[in-house]
Amino acid sequence: MPVRRLLLLCMLSWLLLQPAAEVHAELVVVVNARCGVAAMTRNEVVNLFFGRTRQFFNGIEAQPVDMLDSHPDRARFYNALLGKDLSEINAYWSRQVFSGRMQPPTKLGSPEEVLKWVVSHPGGIGFIELSKADARVRVVYELTP
Amino acid sequence: MLVAKIFRLINAGRLFRLLTVGCAIAQLAAVSALAEPEQAFSLQGFGTLGMARTTSNDLEFVRDLSQPSGIKKEWDGRIDSVLGVQGGWHINKQLEVVVQSTIRYRYDRTYNPEITWAYVKYDPAPDLSLRAGRLGTEFFMMADSRWVGYSFLTVRPPGDYFWYLPFYSIHGVDAAYTLPIGENLLRLKAFYGNSDGKIPLADRQWDIKGSPMVGGFLEYQVSSWLIRASYANITFKHDLPIGGLVPAASAEYLSTKDKRTDYYSLGAVYDQGPWQLQLMLNHIEQGNNALESSDGGYVLAGYRIREVTPYLGYSWVRSVRRTSADPYISHVMADSHSDQKTSIVGMRWDVARNTAIKAQWDGVRGDPTSIFPYRNDPSSGRWSGKMDIYSLAVDFVF
Repeated sequence: MPVRRLLLLCMLSWLLLQPAAEVHAELVVVVNARCGVAAMTRNEVVNLFFGRTRQFFNGIEAQPVDMLDSHPDRARFYNALLGKDLSEINAYWSRQVFSGRMQPPTKLGSPEEVLKWVVSHPGGIGFIELSKADARVRVVYELTP
Repeated sequence: MLVAKIFRLINAGRLFRLLTVGCAIAQLAAVSALAEPEQAFSLQGFGTLGMARTTSNDLEFVRDLSQPSGIKKEWDGRIDSVLGVQGGWHINKQLEVVVQSTIRYRYDRTYNPEITWAYVKYDPAPDLSLRAGRLGTEFFMMADSRWVGYSFLTVRPPGDYFWYLPFYSIHGVDAAYTLPIGENLLRLKAFYGNSDGKIPLADRQWDIKGSPMVGGFLEYQVSSWLIRASYANITFKHDLPIGGLVPAASAEYLSTKDKRTDYYSLGAVYDQGPWQLQLMLNHIEQGNNALESSDGGYVLAGYRIREVTPYLGYSWVRSVRRTSADPYISHVMADSHSDQKTSIVGMRWDVARNTAIKAQWDGVRGDPTSIFPYRNDPSSGRWSGKMDIYSLAVDFVF
């Protein structure tokens, strides 16, 4: 166990020494390829992920999927999208939940699950690393870190 | 004095035990929630452990007028501490049943649990949401999440804006509709129902149960700006609890029964990157002769530096003075007078996941006649209109 930890530490420090761009592969917003949406603006992405609207511009009902706090992509996504910390995102959702307005999107633990969700829901929309996107999904927004 | 202190400690102890039980339930709920992402039942909660003190023994400071007594120069945990638990049953994508219960210091000086809301929510279309049951009222922006400390920056919502809004729920219906306008969103909401609850006044209680309330708002979201204009009114079903205290003729003149009070408000919120800005204005027009109409507002700005968000705020309220030749009438009128400004300096520290620690200073600078926001009559005549409030709070959600 200690050996594995040491190895992990070595790998992590090696990763940290790499240029930032290589460590943080680009995050993108993807939708189900059949939902008819080709591109989105930052505001449209924000509106959907914050539950302000539940429809794409073409009227199709959006089914956003979020990630668990434990996955680093969640913090990266909201930081790149709005410059917001996870505590602020969670504070926003606690206001929505406890005022009875709405529940937050489903949260999943891995990019593979997010991809599966987006593919299996007609209005699915989620965020993953660009390298993980395949033909079943369409990249509608690129986040610039 | 000692008895009062012991009583307060006992109450704090009871509240703490309830919080502990609540946290245990929450842990169980969290475990089950992780196991099943798309489940039919959910259990969530929020809470605050708060302590505050003022620099004056002349009046008691309260969080809002739903509280029968407040705090003085000693550290006291009553006014800001709360525990809330909310259960949801998600029958299908459109239909949901929600019940929320809170434990906090109540109008009747107890900590008996209350059902804050209990409603059925039905979303017939993605842009339309309907609710029926016991609902929270959004008289002003954020008024329906006033006790969820974790959801906002300050220890408590700015008092000069919120303390005279003791209404929390209605038995009725509401409808919200969202209309996209390009990238921006227009949201409309309307509600109607009967008020539920009691407002403590001196050692009596003003029953507002059954008073019809109606209102609505228009909200416009432009990028990171949210702008809202709202209107609401309440038509009181009962008179103020002054029977036997004033002659019949004076009481008749001061009657609130079947009189309508109008609430107007304008709010703007900016929330992007490290900045949070809020500007709120309200006007309350009293349709009765007992309470004074007033104008209030606040500005609040916070800037996050990693996990810490220092903030600055300024709030004010001023009511229109009324006088009468009848000493009884002018006494009651004077009781509802307010004229003060408050500076707010504080800091929120998001110390762990879903937990925030806050420290805040409020400097109230007002006229000695500004007594409506407080409890306990200033019979001594020493109330200067000025006091400082020091507050500490731990807010959490689960």
